[in-house]
Amino acid sequence: MTGRLGLTYALLGAAALAVAVLSLAVGAVRVPPGVIINTLFGLDGPTQDFIINASRVPRTLLSALTGASLALSGAIIQAILRNPLASPKIIGINSGAALAVLLAAIAVPDLPLGWQPLIAIAGGIAAVSIVYAMAEFRPISPARLALIGIAVGFTCDAGVDFILVTADTYDISAPMIWMTGSLWGRGWQHLEAVWPFLTVLIALGLALAFRLDLIRLGAAQATSLGMNVRIERLVMLAVATLLAAISVSVVGVLGFVGLIAPHIARALVGGASRQLLPASLLIGAVLVMLADAAGRAILPPIEVSAGVLTALFGAPFFIYLLLNRPSHGDE
Amino acid sequence: MSLAVGRAGAARLPLGLSVALLLIAIAGGALFSLVTGGRSDIGLAAIFKGDATSAAVIRDIRAPRSLAAALIGINLGLAGLALQAVTRNPLASPSILGINQGAAFGLALALIAPHAVPLPLDGMAMLGALAAGILTFAIAGGFAGRIDAMRLILGGVAVGAFSYALVRFAYTLEDELARSVVRWTVGDITDIRWPPVLRMAFWTVSGVIVAMLAAHRFNLMAMGQDVAKSLGADPRVTLLIGMLLAAGLTGAAVSVAGPIAFAGLIVPHMAKLLFGQDHRILVPTTALLGAALMLVADGMSKVVSPPVEVPVGVVVALIGAPWFLLQTLLAEDLE
Amino acid sequence: MRSSLFGLIAAMALAVTTVHAAEIEHELGVTDVPDNPERIVVLEFSFIDALASVGVAPVGIADDERRERVISAYTDVIGDEWVSVGTRRSPSLEVIASLQPDLIIADLSRHGEAYETLSQIAPTIVLDSLAGDYHDSVEQMSVVGAAIGKSEEMDARVAEHRALMEDYVAQIRPLSEGKSAQFGVTNANGLWLHSPASYNGSLLEMFGFSSTMRPDGDGGVYETNYVPTTLEQLSEVNPDILIFGEYADPSFVDGWAGETLYDALGAVQSDRVFNVTAHNWSRLRGMLAAELTAADLLEIMGQLE
Repeated sequence: MTGRLGLTYALLGAAALAVAVLSLAVGAVRVPPGVIINTLFGLDGPTQDFIINASRVPRTLLSALTGASLALSGAIIQAILRNPLASPKIIGINSGAALAVLLAAIAVPDLPLGWQPLIAIAGGIAAVSIVYAMAEFRPISPARLALIGIAVGFTCDAGVDFILVTADTYDISAPMIWMTGSLWGRGWQHLEAVWPFLTVLIALGLALAFRLDLIRLGAAQATSLGMNVRIERLVMLAVATLLAAISVSVVGVLGFVGLIAPHIARALVGGASRQLLPASLLIGAVLVMLADAAGRAILPPIEVSAGVLTALFGAPFFIYLLLNRPSHGDE
Repeated sequence: MSLAVGRAGAARLPLGLSVALLLIAIAGGALFSLVTGGRSDIGLAAIFKGDATSAAVIRDIRAPRSLAAALIGINLGLAGLALQAVTRNPLASPSILGINQGAAFGLALALIAPHAVPLPLDGMAMLGALAAGILTFAIAGGFAGRIDAMRLILGGVAVGAFSYALVRFAYTLEDELARSVVRWTVGDITDIRWPPVLRMAFWTVSGVIVAMLAAHRFNLMAMGQDVAKSLGADPRVTLLIGMLLAAGLTGAAVSVAGPIAFAGLIVPHMAKLLFGQDHRILVPTTALLGAALMLVADGMSKVVSPPVEVPVGVVVALIGAPWFLLQTLLAEDLE
Repeated sequence: MRSSLFGLIAAMALAVTTVHAAEIEHELGVTDVPDNPERIVVLEFSFIDALASVGVAPVGIADDERRERVISAYTDVIGDEWVSVGTRRSPSLEVIASLQPDLIIADLSRHGEAYETLSQIAPTIVLDSLAGDYHDSVEQMSVVGAAIGKSEEMDARVAEHRALMEDYVAQIRPLSEGKSAQFGVTNANGLWLHSPASYNGSLLEMFGFSSTMRPDGDGGVYETNYVPTTLEQLSEVNPDILIFGEYADPSFVDGWAGETLYDALGAVQSDRVFNVTAHNWSRLRGMLAAELTAADLLEIMGQLE
């Protein structure tokens, strides 16, 4: 068993590496492989230097990091809610962040650009806090949390629509791109802003995997094993929320990664969180790197947002999952 | 898992009083909707003044729009009621089925690649709405006669996200495209005129009649499939009637106004809260309540953000989404 | 390998020619721009206008991948050798970099967020093209002129433009005296009026037209630049002259013909409804664009007689 698992991880790692190389190799401008390698070692001209070293490398790293974070966040949320169809979006993170960003864009048009990520994070956290506080209102249950999350998401979406129909197009021009989930214009500075937080949170999330397995047994059993389930669930929810909110703040609303990556992982390594979380992480990284690379390469010079591709391919996959799942019960 | 609210029934008002209040609400909503609009000089007094311009504004512009609002409210309310009855699931409603986003998908497709699609804009919107609705319904198990609530919602979310991916891609391409898509995907009846309203009225009247005739079947369905069968009402026939009714009513509303979210979900719920569970009473009261809600929403759509008129669908969503949240909070039997 | 070698040589050549640099102040700070930049990438239409005004051809344009959007008034000057760098909303940074520009001119609301990244490709200046009015767009001309090392030519061109516009103003003002005019764009599903705060609104104002686009008559103006407008709202605005740019044929407004309220509009009754090219009026900004608009207006006023 361990042998097989080891092989799976090795293959996943190799896939991630291969996709990373692919992401470096493709884009709106064709750069021959030899030049790419030379450029990576600083042996080539300034044009290639920007395309490879200042654009493709940070974008690849950023997409890997945010993809991993979103996938991990999704895997944790699925475990907490004991619902394999849950995702960061289900608990309101995306809609809350989007509403906050649009509100800020129309209320304070002169807001310094560096603030947008902070506002997105605040919006995502606020939405989840509201969801959680409302769910606490009654004996908390995973289904209630999910439903309230969806309802809060709908409410935020209504606000987003209101702003979209009343605001001037130029006020919301940049937020619109962000809302599609795009790595357009991202560079080292964006990676530098988020990697310390995301790596710490990823480490924390992985460290919690063991506790998640206990929660998966069910709240009653976990309590009998000496856990304060409410507190632990809250801590994990906080980690998952921060992972997703910080990712969304820098790459925008990238749908379905947090939902699908854990599913593929589950099919490969099984449902135990200790295995599921690291595998989800790798798969999430692969998915977003792939989407970003494809978005750059398929319609040049038009950039197709990575979020458009993850949704166009993710949604049918999700529907397939829904159709192949028994109507009732979770997992 | 279901989301029944107040099934045991808090103290209800007498039926006659409730209906009277409803009629007052409709009259008030209609008046509100008729006296507000782009011409600030044409208000309440103008109705009685009777000069040519006021008459033209009221007759040609505001009256068809108010009637359209009322009819859409009736259509969506009854469609929601029928779906909830035949699937025995209180979340079943046209707005949860992803039809809004489906319409947006069809529209975005028609706008991005006008030569690649077979139908004009509104045809594509209808087709998209229909496809998304059917898909979500199938995902939720609707064709098997029993809808799983979580699957329904998640299916709607997935179908919606798929459609919105394309819509948002359209946003990134063109300013003009973004403006058109945004306004068309949220449900809008500004600048509607008599002919489409009269066409819709035909569907509405037929729908109300069918719903009245089927009300007893809906009641039997609520008692359970076995009971219904033993009382001589084949649940499959009831399901078919309910589905066709909902599809026709929703389609007629979407073709006129575009997709309007949440009306089909919340109106039947409000009606049940006020009038109980008997569909023979629920059918007419849901219709009245839907009309009242949409008339008020239409009036509000003209005054919330003057001088810009907000599409009525946005106003309904701003009312409906928090209501849905409230309903979720108050639901008693979640696990 | 050849391309990299070329890049290296180009970089060395650049290093030689860029010893002197001008400091250009723009919306997001101050940028050192090399003297006489030759490879310029522009990300909004008004910047094409600026370059064409002084006979400079950009190497890259964010033309939405539709080359016909760069109208003949521009291509007559700049030719058609430019490379499309994608949409104005999210132009491809790789393509921009591959053009080895020595100056990028970007728009504040669209590209402000990517300013740092663009600056890594080449010196970048950011101007408020999209949200600004006509007067802003002319003021930006001098910034562009200074940035491309053609301040004198640009100042001369701006002076010439102002004189030309004054000439137009002198011809149009007597006719526009006491009249209100309103521009709007219409596609297949709506009408959007351009408010007095917008680019076209400010142009009409300069030509002496008043605007009736003020709600409730209390002097408050429309806050947004583009206002979705129903027939009933249009009948409240009821300007003396209506100018429509149609993006679709038949347009939404065409559908109003024959309605009581539409026929009762002052402009309709006095036969003062005009159609202009929506693209030129609505998307383009700058001196050449404004001159085209002025010529359209003069022609319209001629038809009034």
